[in-house]
Amino acid sequence: MSDKDTPFFVGYLPVPKGLRGLLLAVCVLFISGLAGFGLALGVAQDDPGEGAFRFDYGRQTVTGVVELTPYPLLRVTEGNERIPAGHTLMLAGGGKTNVERRAIPLEGQLARASGVLLQRGDLDMMQLRGGRNGLGPAEGVAPELPTEPLGRWKLAGEICDGKCLAGAMRPGRGLAHKACANLCLIGKVPPVFVSSQPVDGHEFLLITGPDGGHFPESAYHYVAQFVSLEGEVERRGDLLVLRIDPETLEVLD
Amino acid sequence: MSVKYIPVQWNSNKYIYDAVMLLGVALFLYIFLYAAPGLLSHERPINPQVHNARAFGACAFVMLTVILCIGPLARLDKRYLPLLYNRRHFGVMTVFVALTHAGYILDWYFAFSMSDKNEALLFANTSYGQLAGFPFEAFGIFSLFTLILLAATSHDFWMKFLSPPVWKRIHYLIYPAYLSVVAHVSFGILQDQQNHVFTVIFIGGAAAVGGLHLLAALHERRADQALSAEAADWVPVCDVSEMTEGFAKIRLLANGDRVAVYLNDGKLSAISNACAHQNGPLGEGRIIDCLVTCPWHGFQYDVTSGRSPAPFTEKVPTYNLKIEGTDVLVDPKANPPGTYVEPLIAPKAGGTA
Repeated sequence: MSDKDTPFFVGYLPVPKGLRGLLLAVCVLFISGLAGFGLALGVAQDDPGEGAFRFDYGRQTVTGVVELTPYPLLRVTEGNERIPAGHTLMLAGGGKTNVERRAIPLEGQLARASGVLLQRGDLDMMQLRGGRNGLGPAEGVAPELPTEPLGRWKLAGEICDGKCLAGAMRPGRGLAHKACANLCLIGKVPPVFVSSQPVDGHEFLLITGPDGGHFPESAYHYVAQFVSLEGEVERRGDLLVLRIDPETLEVLD
Repeated sequence: MSVKYIPVQWNSNKYIYDAVMLLGVALFLYIFLYAAPGLLSHERPINPQVHNARAFGACAFVMLTVILCIGPLARLDKRYLPLLYNRRHFGVMTVFVALTHAGYILDWYFAFSMSDKNEALLFANTSYGQLAGFPFEAFGIFSLFTLILLAATSHDFWMKFLSPPVWKRIHYLIYPAYLSVVAHVSFGILQDQQNHVFTVIFIGGAAAVGGLHLLAALHERRADQALSAEAADWVPVCDVSEMTEGFAKIRLLANGDRVAVYLNDGKLSAISNACAHQNGPLGEGRIIDCLVTCPWHGFQYDVTSGRSPAPFTEKVPTYNLKIEGTDVLVDPKANPPGTYVEPLIAPKAGGTA
């Protein structure tokens, strides 16, 4: 029921005088409210961290020995000012792709890798250029490079895709990023474990499957969550490789 | 009111409504996209695609929240009915903002792989059996498709084509869609957020929607209790002295229908309280130019026949009335829509017909 004292609005007629003040106030509140929310929400975004593509370094070219974990690594033997000899680089293709097809024929051999570096703290990865320009054989005899077993470890932390984590996406970790991380891992981009406690001085470890294979499908449900797991850790140059035991994966609160 | 379908029947109020809405949305996006980054003390910026996706996603959530607050607000205080008038434009705009959000997400997180990005959206995360890491994208997809459906059928053509009750039921999907948006945000960005400003705004917005709907429901329940009538051959409405020229008294009949009894030019007539357009409460309107005018969108009806004036074709049921002393009574059996009923001369207060 309506009453005489309430102004009556009809859309196709002029706004009644009794409503104009209120509607003007609503318009001002709406516009300023949306502007305020835009500002409040815009500045409330978390820092995605320091990881990034280092295009500012320019194209990097180094030589080293190709190893397959099965994720391709380059044990650098001839570096440059950014990537020293003795460093171990994880290798990835463009986007969410891997470089295994190019790396497999070069396993155990000296190769030249060229591309752009991604870097977050002591985690880095090289996104290779296309074809043999990105990864090709180098002259010389590959030296024997040691792999040092560090035993079985129980660790807590997060399973991420190494490329987004290293800075390909900012932010590049967390539950909101899980589908993207899974898609990278499906593309065989190297997975990385972010340990809550340093392991032999390292926060980041390359993950492989239990039998030296790829990251197991059953473990995808645990990606981007805070988990505990067990596995064998080995050192390859300055990179730790964690061979996970998927049976031990457990979500932590 | 419409006699033929055109995309939008513009009038000055709609222009003002849309201009205010667009200005608000443009300011939200401009400030989020261009002003906020300068205020963030991040060592390196968030990816522009992620920043854009967040801006459009947050904007769509705020817009949807405002849209859903308008209905109960107008039920609680009729001075806010003008906000309801052009709400569908607000809804359609929200769909475009939400689509832009989805586009950025799809072209960023689900691109760059060997798979089609649309397929990747569906298979990349299949952890449906767990809460943490649940594929919250599924909630977003449901909401987006529902909003598209609602926007696509928002025109009066679809209401006429589907019939108002079916159309109304379809458009109640806005509530599952909003709940799904709440789940989308709760299982997504809220899981990672360290800064809790968004959490507070999000919970506040969702609580405002829920709280206002609860208040409006309680308000209507109380009002319905006051209006409800026992089943009878003739249902008492009120004493004629309680009626005001140009206004109505509403009665809730035992079968759930509402009847609006109007006093027009000293005569009494009764029509259904539900407008043929969107079931707006005709009894909460008033008579303008001898026609009952709906408070929602201004649809008009001849109070004696329930028919819209030519060339319009809308019709609502009418009811028979009788007067006993000064008591107005209504026959709860509705006449077919558009049936003329001779109006009754209202007795003077304290007298007889």
